[in-house]
Amino acid sequence: MSNRTLPRLLQSPAVFLLLIWMLVPLSMTLYFSFIRYVLNSLRKPEWTTPALSNWRGFGNYEFVLKSKDFLFAIQNSLLIVCSILFLTVILGVLIAVLINKSFPGQGIVRVLLISPFFVMPAVNAVLWINMILDPVLGLQGIAVGGINDMVDGLRAAPGIGWFFSLWPELTPISFRATQTSAYAVIIMVTWQWTPFAVLIFMTSLQSEDQQQKEAAILDGASTWSQFRFLTLPHLGRPIAIVVMIQAIFHLSLYAEIEIVSRGNGNKNLPYLIGEFANNNIGAASATGIFAVILANIVAIFLLRMVGKTLME
Amino acid sequence: MAIVAQSSKYGQISRTLLAWIVGLLFFFPIFWLVLTSFKTDADAVKPEFLFFFTPTLENYTNMTENYNYWRFATNSVITSVFATIFALAVGIPCAYSMAFNPTRATKDVLMWMLSTKMLPAAAVLYPMTFLTKSLGLFDTHFMVIVVLCLINLPIVIWMLFTYFKEIPKEIIEAGQMDGVNTWGEIKEILIPLAWGGIASTALLCFIFCWNEAYWTVRLTTTDAATLSKLIEGNRAPEGLFFGRLSAVSAAAVGPIIVLGWFCQKQLVQGLSFGAVK
Repeated sequence: MSNRTLPRLLQSPAVFLLLIWMLVPLSMTLYFSFIRYVLNSLRKPEWTTPALSNWRGFGNYEFVLKSKDFLFAIQNSLLIVCSILFLTVILGVLIAVLINKSFPGQGIVRVLLISPFFVMPAVNAVLWINMILDPVLGLQGIAVGGINDMVDGLRAAPGIGWFFSLWPELTPISFRATQTSAYAVIIMVTWQWTPFAVLIFMTSLQSEDQQQKEAAILDGASTWSQFRFLTLPHLGRPIAIVVMIQAIFHLSLYAEIEIVSRGNGNKNLPYLIGEFANNNIGAASATGIFAVILANIVAIFLLRMVGKTLME
Repeated sequence: MAIVAQSSKYGQISRTLLAWIVGLLFFFPIFWLVLTSFKTDADAVKPEFLFFFTPTLENYTNMTENYNYWRFATNSVITSVFATIFALAVGIPCAYSMAFNPTRATKDVLMWMLSTKMLPAAAVLYPMTFLTKSLGLFDTHFMVIVVLCLINLPIVIWMLFTYFKEIPKEIIEAGQMDGVNTWGEIKEILIPLAWGGIASTALLCFIFCWNEAYWTVRLTTTDAATLSKLIEGNRAPEGLFFGRLSAVSAAAVGPIIVLGWFCQKQLVQGLSFGAVK
């Protein structure tokens, strides 16, 4: 029908904008990834302007593949994303089941729980790395110091002193080293995103078939088998959705890494690109293309998994 | 029977307790941030003033002096508000068109939009910097607004689409019978009907804009720098200024957390793209 043409055309501005937003920078990245392009070069000033005469073919890609940081960044990206997904889903299911049934103060607990989700990533990172995880001045350092002092005191106590003298002196963990700072990022992002998982799972649990559950209780099904055979299958779809949304957000995790790990060697793909982009644009662009490929692999996999449920 | 009732009562109590502990544990870091913001910088790192200290408002009153807080906050408000308005202005017609006049390609277009969210922003970092600098838009509100609007557009469209889908088609079609044109349909029928959904979409979009920390940090220096940039730039003094840093952080996240409390229900429907209700 012709009078439906205008309504149909109304989606074109959005499509058009998103197309430009996607295609223009991405094709530039693609172009830069095939040429020699650096921001500062005393030796080769001609490389500082992008031009086809500086064509390098797949040279940037080889350079990136050979740099030891690249493999490490990919491993780290995957480690961080997978750990966060694993932890948030497990914790999310447990907490959702725990607070789903009504209890005094349920509303308040819900509000307390959801709050971390709205904290801006930069504040999240600053808060955790300084005030909580710092080995000397943070709560971790204070707690470890307190425990050590207490054990020290108990060692001098008559009768039980021998028992406490067997205890080792605790040393706080520094979360600013290469590997531990990845754990710090995992901890803080898990803290932020578990509430999201809880919220989604809780909403889904409220639509669980109660009659089925009552029948199972009458049949003498244990709490565990109720959970295993009724609740868990019911949560399949929400779990898939939580995994997808989080993958979208965490593959491009940046602020946390930037704040926690600047200069200590810990990095993920976005951070590595940022590092290259300080001078070697060719390498940054080639890494960017790799990141796009990785994201596409994940996206295809995830959209296959949940695409159908979204369209129902 | 009495024993069963007894044990389930204990079960109830222990579950309540556990739930409260979990809730408080998750909230604790935020509580700690707010508590530290009332300590002086010197007190903030002393174990003896962990919970008991003389509270001071000094950090909040000095926020402007130490960090120029209000300039960054104003920038955050301006960019987030306008980005949200533009996202809705583009998103509402688009979602309307998809929900009530779908074509064969609509599903694929929706999926494609979602997939643009998955593109790593870092991949286009340099081209974006290059473009904004060569267009003279680096560190301008305009650029930040455009970028925030575009990165949130897919989620805005998806959310609106799921809300619009629930409105019976007949109501919209009845409008057509009465000779209302397309703009009339949107303005007089759709928007009033879907007001709640639009409001929660706007709220969520605003929150995401406010918290965005990649482009706002990378595409600004001072003039258009938002609160994310302020916090990111002040992470360096390790342990030196816990009190001040807490105050400015608390002031940056406080309003958003309160806003978030109001839209937690809609958040579920929106972020699960209507698949979980």
